[in-house]
Amino acid sequence: MTRPFAPARFAPARAAGAFVPDLLLENVEVLAPDGRPILRVARLEAPAGTALGIRGPSGAGKSTLLHVVAGLLPVASGRVMWGDADLAAMTEPARDAFRRARLGLIFQDFLLFEELSAQQNAAIAAAWAPARDRAAIRARAEALLDRFGAPGDRDVASMSGGERQRVSAARALACDPAAILADEPTASLDRENADRLAGDLLAMAREAGRTLIAVSHDPALIASMDQVVQVVDGEVRG
Amino acid sequence: MIAALETAWLDASPAVQDALRLALLLVPALVTGALALRGQAPGPLVRALLLRFRWTNLLFAGLMALSVGLGVALIAQERAIREGSARAADPFDILVAAPGDEIGLMLSAVYLQPASAPLLGGDVLDRLQRDDRLTLIAPLAFGDSHAGAPVVGTTAAFLDRIGGPLAEGRVWEAAHEAVIGARSPLALGDEIAPAHGAGFSADPQAHDGAHLTVVGRMAPTGGPWDRAVVAPVEFVWAVHGLADGHAPGAERLGPPFDPDHFPGTPAFVISTRTLAGAYAARARHTDATSMAFFPGATLSRLHLLLGDLREAMSLMALAAQGLAAAGVLGGLVALTRLFARRFALLRALGAPRRFVLAVVWAYAATLMGAGAVLGLAVGAVGAEALAGLVSARTDLALSAGIGWAEAHLAAAVFSLTTVLALVPALAAYRRSPALDLRAG
Ligand SMILES: Nc1ncnc2c1ncn2[C@@H]1O[C@H](COP(=O)(O)OP(=O)(O)OP(=O)(O)O)[C@@H](O)[C@H]1O
Ligand SMILES: [Mg+2]
Repeated sequence: MTRPFAPARFAPARAAGAFVPDLLLENVEVLAPDGRPILRVARLEAPAGTALGIRGPSGAGKSTLLHVVAGLLPVASGRVMWGDADLAAMTEPARDAFRRARLGLIFQDFLLFEELSAQQNAAIAAAWAPARDRAAIRARAEALLDRFGAPGDRDVASMSGGERQRVSAARALACDPAAILADEPTASLDRENADRLAGDLLAMAREAGRTLIAVSHDPALIASMDQVVQVVDGEVRG
Repeated sequence: MIAALETAWLDASPAVQDALRLALLLVPALVTGALALRGQAPGPLVRALLLRFRWTNLLFAGLMALSVGLGVALIAQERAIREGSARAADPFDILVAAPGDEIGLMLSAVYLQPASAPLLGGDVLDRLQRDDRLTLIAPLAFGDSHAGAPVVGTTAAFLDRIGGPLAEGRVWEAAHEAVIGARSPLALGDEIAPAHGAGFSADPQAHDGAHLTVVGRMAPTGGPWDRAVVAPVEFVWAVHGLADGHAPGAERLGPPFDPDHFPGTPAFVISTRTLAGAYAARARHTDATSMAFFPGATLSRLHLLLGDLREAMSLMALAAQGLAAAGVLGGLVALTRLFARRFALLRALGAPRRFVLAVVWAYAATLMGAGAVLGLAVGAVGAEALAGLVSARTDLALSAGIGWAEAHLAAAVFSLTTVLALVPALAAYRRSPALDLRAG
């Protein structure tokens, strides 16, 4: 299923059947701005299409790990390989470009733009995409909102937590990413909404062979993942 | 190439030149905007930021508008005063007076500012009346007042020259009849007793028994004459107990006057048919006993003298704009810190740093642009209010409209601030998204 990945060019959207790269972290060390080490990863592997759960106590370094995998946080040493592309060796604009082309992010507190409609939030990537890709992003966003059962024309300010998180899931998928990275996506939801969203995310990942990496305290979500790692005191354990 | 451009520039009409200047002043804003926004579509997010912080945004745009408005009002006002004072001097082609203080005499004759001046006698009158190339010879006798308004003696011909056809009533037919200025509080039929002198030193008893009846009202002249009471010069002479300029028993008003019975006047207004004739007349009537001068030219020299002051004022206005803009931009830098989490989110979602720069720039430029346009409106209103104040004090009719100079100022300030808006934009561009994402 995996094919070699050319780091210099990231196709903007995954055409049907486009490949998903394997993830491999090796000897990664992350320092806080004050120089204190906050995360060490000897080795972490997630083959393409894996659903990987990350759990651990508060303050252990789970979000930090996710940010490193997303290329949002530079590492002090080690390799962060998505296929052949090493995020650790890339400049910030190159990491931005990689994230734009390959990754979709979901956050615990949704982080939607309250002043925009659900549709505008889900299609936010159209704002910086090349003009020729904008219509496709908007169309995908619309379809995803439908699929998740989120009302597209309403202001997000008037939405419930469950509806908001469905909008943010549509936003994460609107650019057809190879991997979905979610930081405690169900933590702000009630049981029913949490289960529904977890099911939707897994289904969306599975049917397109996407990798899903989710940080969660939710035993139900963790239980449905293919593979689970634990982060304790800044150390990743298998 | 450069020479061709120069000729094209010189050949262009003033309006075209002004429009081009405006376009040139906007070029920095357009170039910065084109570079900052290239390939990005920040519109919806900018609108979101504008709405989300609307009161703060209004405050910033308002500050900018006030500072632009102040500059606009000041330069509009200055120009209005210059134009208004020149317009008021228009009917006074050439003034002839005793050699000495041109400016003082111009202020007395044109703007009716009270001042004492030496008198010209019958010899000068005789020489003027023998000059057959003059089309108007009108003595001006000023120095009296009524209820704070100047009372001026002159001839019916000059009355016609300065005000044109009367708005109301008729011209005087006897020495005790007067015509009032367009803005005088008096009415036709009123009887008044002029006082000797003006202001605090006016002496209402001095001209005991001499009365004037108002028989006409002038059309507006746009100058201090609009508040004056204008009487036959013979009346002014008579109330001072002087000869009335005519042989005893002649019973006439207006020129020619009799040099032997001429009591003297501080100034004559004279006119010629042509401009060249005016220069020649000025030369002919300037000698040891009299000086002839163009009040318009004297006024221009005065304006020129004040030009340096004006320059300093515009520089100060511009510096004030710069300071205000810097303050507003400082506020924007602080405000964009508030947006940091949103920008970090955009970056996490894949937005390039350039997109964040485009959002901040477009947001700041929108506020500054709104401030500049609003500033023109504030300036127009402010200039109108200032003009009212100055008009009330000087009796000059001022029309302080917004012209090219004001548009140029607003455009220059807008351009400058859009370039400065790159500062908060670059500050946002450089921030690390991972740090700001966790700052709740
Ligand atoms: N920029 C930073 N400066 C200083 N310390 C930091 C910084 N970022 C993270 N840390 C520290 O690194 C550790 C890991 O933080 P992280 O947010 O990854 O934990 P987490 O496992 O996601 O916790 P939670 O479950 O509460 O979200 C914490 O002790 C945190 O204080
Ligand atoms: Mg966390």
